[in-house]
Amino acid sequence: MTQPLLDIDDLYKSYGSEDVLEGIGLEMDRGDVTVLIGPSGSGKSTLLRCVNQLTDIDSGTVALDGTDVTRPEADVNELRKQVGMVFQDFNLFAHLTALGNVTLGPRKVLGMDADEARERGREHLEQVGLLDQADSYPAELSGGQKQRVGIAQALAMDPELLLFDEPTSALDPELVGEVVDVMRDLADRGITMLVVSHEMGFARSAASDIVFLDDGEIVEHGPPEQLFEAPEADRTREFLGRLETEHEGTP
Amino acid sequence: MSTAESASPITRLRRRMGSAVSVRPLTAGLVLFWLWLFGRLTNDYLLGDSLGLGRGEPFVPEAPFAAAADSAAALAASVGPVGEPILWLAGGFEFAAEAIGYLPLLAGGIWTTVLLTTVSVCLGFVLALPLSLLRVYGGRTARWAALSYTELVRGTPLLAQLFVLYFATSLTQVLRGVPGVGVGFVPAQAFWVAVISFSLNSAAYQSEYLRAAFDSVDSGQLTAARAVGLSKFEGIRYVVVPQGLRLALPSWTNELVYLVKYSSLASFITVQELFGRTSTLASETYQYTDLFVLAAALYLALVVTASALMDRVESHTATVGVGHTRQ
Repeated sequence: MTQPLLDIDDLYKSYGSEDVLEGIGLEMDRGDVTVLIGPSGSGKSTLLRCVNQLTDIDSGTVALDGTDVTRPEADVNELRKQVGMVFQDFNLFAHLTALGNVTLGPRKVLGMDADEARERGREHLEQVGLLDQADSYPAELSGGQKQRVGIAQALAMDPELLLFDEPTSALDPELVGEVVDVMRDLADRGITMLVVSHEMGFARSAASDIVFLDDGEIVEHGPPEQLFEAPEADRTREFLGRLETEHEGTP
Repeated sequence: MSTAESASPITRLRRRMGSAVSVRPLTAGLVLFWLWLFGRLTNDYLLGDSLGLGRGEPFVPEAPFAAAADSAAALAASVGPVGEPILWLAGGFEFAAEAIGYLPLLAGGIWTTVLLTTVSVCLGFVLALPLSLLRVYGGRTARWAALSYTELVRGTPLLAQLFVLYFATSLTQVLRGVPGVGVGFVPAQAFWVAVISFSLNSAAYQSEYLRAAFDSVDSGQLTAARAVGLSKFEGIRYVVVPQGLRLALPSWTNELVYLVKYSSLASFITVQELFGRTSTLASETYQYTDLFVLAAALYLALVVTASALMDRVESHTATVGVGHTRQ
């Protein structure tokens, strides 16, 4: 039996008296693309932030490649080298060009020399189709372009696992497609991705697993065809029904 | 590709010459002022009498201006009440003659003011940066300590702080013992007491400007830096500080301009900077009005230079999307 890349076990997290995650268990193998869906406030983003330790957990374990990353003595910066994150509101470094954004991590965290970082940064920008915008500042880019730079930035660290926190939610509808295309391309290339998104097109075509989260619990977990076509739980059915009527496919 | 890169060398040269010719009068005035100051200092302190122009001897003779003033006054007297405007002109010539005579004696004072201000503002910045970061990112105790310092300094008069350091502490004695102080071109201890006092004072004000700037950098920026794997310190250093400094530049310029003028307080502890030098001269010659009008004009030249330089820095570091950018 091979070891899962990501192994979350019995994870609990609360903010004050509010329980956000209540006993989450989730495994991901290399190459898996897992999409987390669920109503707002269900704990999806918190779960993501627990994986790269932007949020401290209360109890349980998160293991990456067999190593428990939540031990107090674990080095969070070492963990974050291996786990990239793409944010809903991009969070690109405003004072750096697209290329500067993509090279900051490799230079300062991985200790890569500037020339090599730039060369590899260009490759990553090319992967997301933005080589021509290498010298543009974030304020000069469209939302979709910003998010693609965000993805290139995460890729530049050569991570084991990529986390996506609602990567298309802050985008105008017509810009969603370019970001989803890049994500689908990454999925095809076998990059392990844990994605919080209600982008059903992506979930159906690229996901290996769908996880439905509600009230801090995993209600249902299965391959997309099963979860979308034949959901077992009432809560899943109800949520999917709402999603379809509200967004008609593309939220 | 920008057009400058693709243009031929000749076009580029012409463009450069063109911009040199159309220098604004203000810039020309400032350049003239600084050429004069450095020329003056070089002549008076480095060359001695070797060029035939003695220390303090004006570059431009004052006699023609005095003569012009005299003849204008005579002309005004001869035409009676209608001669009033001519009398003003005579006053102008007289002031010019006075200024030509006094300016060389003020050059050393101007230079002391420049040194006092720049050294203090730089040292103040070195102190202000950690102070402001403690205010924003420090623990409870560190935040409280930094805030107390800032409020104590900003809440008491600068002159009082200067007097406390100069009269109530043994700082002067300590500085007098430092080898090199007061030797050759190194100013004497009173200057350094003023530098320390102004630096400590300016640090408090600058830290307030910087704190506001760091506070206004979006918190998502540091989160993103942490997510990439940078430590908190690295995230602050590589992401928050570069953005915060750009945001703080306009208010920082303000602080510099204030300090140019506040540095005149150093005259109260015997430092012969511009204001002190002017006072001394005025009490010797009784030409109070002319001398202080001249000093005001010289302060103005320093302040305008400071704003012009900071303007340059601002446009040089301007980044689309970080703070205010001019179109």
